[in-house]
Amino acid sequence: MVSVQDRPSPASVAVSVRGLTKRYGDVVACSNVDLDLRRGEIHGVLGENGAGKSTLMKVLIGLVQPDSGTLTVDDARVRIDSPARAGALGIGMVHQHFSLVDELRVWENVVLGERERLDARHARGLVESIGEHYGLGVDPDARVGDLTAGMRQRVEIIKCLRRDPSIVIFDEPTSVLTPQESEQLFGVLRLAVERENKAVALVSHKLDEIRQATDTVTILRRGAVVEDGPTARFDQQSLAQAMIGRAVSLRGDDAAALGATDIVVTEATAASGPVTAPTVLAVENAVFDRYGHRVLDGLDLDVRAGEIVGIAGVEGNGQVELADVLSSLVTLDAGTVIVDGVVVPTGRAGAMGTAGVGMIPEDRHDAGCVLDMSVAENLALASVGVGSWLRRVDRAKNEADALRLIDEYEIRCSGPDAPFHSLSGGNQQRVVLARELSADPKVLVAAQPTRGLDVGAIEFMGEQLRAAAARGVGVLLISSELEEILHLADRILVLHAGRIVGEMNRTDADVERIGLLMGGVTTDTTTTEGEADA
Amino acid sequence: MRDLRNRPGLLTGRLSTKDSSLTFALYALSLLGALVISGALVAATGGSAPDVLSALLDGSVRSPGAWGLTLTTAAPLLLVAIGTIVATRAGLVNIGQEGQVLIGAAFAAYAAVRLGGPGWVVVTGALLFGAVGGGAWAGIAAGLRAWRNVPEVLTTLLLTFIAFPLVTFGLSQAALIADRDTTRQNQLNTGEIIPGTALLPDVHLFGNAIDSGFLVAIGLSAVLAYLISRTLLGTRVDMLGYNPRAAQRFGVAAGPLSAAVLIGSGATAGVAGAVLLTGGAAGDRLVFGFSGNFGWDGLLVALLARNRILVALPVALIFAMLRTGSSFLAATGVDRKVTEVVQALLVLALLIPPAVLFIRDRRRALRSSNQKTPATAPEAT
Repeated sequence: MVSVQDRPSPASVAVSVRGLTKRYGDVVACSNVDLDLRRGEIHGVLGENGAGKSTLMKVLIGLVQPDSGTLTVDDARVRIDSPARAGALGIGMVHQHFSLVDELRVWENVVLGERERLDARHARGLVESIGEHYGLGVDPDARVGDLTAGMRQRVEIIKCLRRDPSIVIFDEPTSVLTPQESEQLFGVLRLAVERENKAVALVSHKLDEIRQATDTVTILRRGAVVEDGPTARFDQQSLAQAMIGRAVSLRGDDAAALGATDIVVTEATAASGPVTAPTVLAVENAVFDRYGHRVLDGLDLDVRAGEIVGIAGVEGNGQVELADVLSSLVTLDAGTVIVDGVVVPTGRAGAMGTAGVGMIPEDRHDAGCVLDMSVAENLALASVGVGSWLRRVDRAKNEADALRLIDEYEIRCSGPDAPFHSLSGGNQQRVVLARELSADPKVLVAAQPTRGLDVGAIEFMGEQLRAAAARGVGVLLISSELEEILHLADRILVLHAGRIVGEMNRTDADVERIGLLMGGVTTDTTTTEGEADA
Repeated sequence: MRDLRNRPGLLTGRLSTKDSSLTFALYALSLLGALVISGALVAATGGSAPDVLSALLDGSVRSPGAWGLTLTTAAPLLLVAIGTIVATRAGLVNIGQEGQVLIGAAFAAYAAVRLGGPGWVVVTGALLFGAVGGGAWAGIAAGLRAWRNVPEVLTTLLLTFIAFPLVTFGLSQAALIADRDTTRQNQLNTGEIIPGTALLPDVHLFGNAIDSGFLVAIGLSAVLAYLISRTLLGTRVDMLGYNPRAAQRFGVAAGPLSAAVLIGSGATAGVAGAVLLTGGAAGDRLVFGFSGNFGWDGLLVALLARNRILVALPVALIFAMLRTGSSFLAATGVDRKVTEVVQALLVLALLIPPAVLFIRDRRRALRSSNQKTPATAPEAT
């Protein structure tokens, strides 16, 4: 790691932000923010979800117009009113969510949106030369849809770098990467600042990343800069405290939420694995094809009563489909699902729920709620599919149940009749949690349950999952946040390419090994699956 | 793509009713606009607006027996509308009512002429045949949707254009519904006169003859309104319409329910056709073009009622008034087709406020979701 002191030349400021303020209604996303990105330096922007990181970066890339404040690029005052203008000023961004077209080849994606004449040979050469220069090897003729998340990010980076921007912003780039891929990425960033003297901004909410990869850091909290300076000046504790605004123990929940992997791992206590408890969920040899791709490929897993089983893995390796199967949304092509000893037919409407599978879905708006119904109706969804169609809806009971759950789960709403869509995201999540837990499930599946929540809400979710397990519910935690899994799970399964490629107890958890497994490297063979050069 | 599934559209979304004064002002303004344009149109075609209004009121309610006829005319409109409303609430787009009405009428004609027995048996039989005919016609669309995933919006519409020649063919075959009276000069393409015993009886009230088909429509509306608002069926239909994936997860399978609802909405349109035939509002026999736009207009009634069954009744009455009132326009020297333009303007006027409110709500939702993004959603770009 290059520290600020050993930098060869005094860094020149590439972008300077002064007094930037952006309001959305009553919410202040950015308040009087100052930020300097210097050439030859990786600058970390650290903050919780909702701290204003994304808004700040969207201003730099021209997607959001600030209410006040000034922007200076290379000592000239500028107004960045569109991404095209940002591009002309030499600012490029690698987005958190890919902006690639699955059906097109790599080189086609890289030149997509260019105005000059299409030259396939030149474009292929470009992909190869940039790939070679930065160690971002990728086959220019591969179809993007066939690539792993890590390779797709390479394409995204090449697409950004081909315009040779002098200022590059990476927005939460590691959320789709294995730990090893993240390391590689940081190597690329280092190369870009050292060889090309670029200015790089790394946006993250993970302490480890900031400490590992950046030279200087700006910490945002509730839209305002609370600290900035050379990264070396901060230790994990002070970074965390600045980010959250209170002293944190850096133990347990907090550490997991902040992405402090080493602490989570060393802290793991011997899980009293309930090895004698009965199996409440077993998935056997699950096979599922979607659009001709085998997304579940002989997946086996089992969950015992009272334990939390974590499924680690890079997104897009079958997590969504596994959750869909356990929500009765899709029918398996082969394999069985057994809940509490009884085979449950997959894809039959409501069958999983009736059998005792609760679900906290990754996207609650997908199948977890009905936005246009009331809070009370949403809490009673599970009763809709049961019984004769002529049966009267028992509104008095629904309302009484809703009042009880609103109180018990501290759901903030105007009452049981409040339209569900009028609730904030956190309270919508509580409605889902209240409904699923109050149904007394045998199995609770939580798919990316803390995505987008702030630290307080993450802690609440963790407590609820642990409390459910303590009551004897078998909990299946599907998460791409490795810290979350390491922190909560008693047993860890690693999912890669639609099957479980490794299993370990938390006490023997080894981040290195989990990372390799997530990338498809199994311990007994050195050959890789799917991604040859990961 | 996923989000679209849970995002109600203009037709099914519930509007926020917070700004009732704004809502009222919007409706008042757009209705005023429609009236001004209608008046200008009447003036431009050489008529006088007050005269036209007066004639419309005479024809629809004021002249002796007029409102009885208006209620009789409202019956098929209401029947078509309530079936459409249930289908739309379930997330289905049935726009083939015109054909379903015609097929229903043809089935009813067969029953009315060929079924023997006492009058009430024949009438009941005709209504049931109408329901079966309309239901079967919509059932083709339901089947294609269930087995081959063909969008019902296409099939229901296109089936209408098959229904017309099909009924015409039926009217040419003595074995089917053609007139068997060989003494008539031109019996091709006409059905037999419906015997008096096979007609729905009239209810006489204050000198008005109201076809009991209106009572059938009111009764069916009440039943459907109850089912939708009070029973599990209604909740399932709404759930399917709002979020089919949530419905699937909570035990409401889309396939059978969609098929049942689509067939049911065809059946009510078929009953509308039967009522049209046996109620005497559209002549005493089945002829080419018998359905007389009752299907299309019923669809508009459903649209204006914004998918609330109880609101469909007053809307159907207004549409019926324009129909019956137009027959008195000849005396004013204004073409009776002007009522069709007025009706269209009315439809537009009543659709503009919800559209404006919908767009405003959407903008607000977008803005507030931008606000909420920092606190509740992943920091997506």
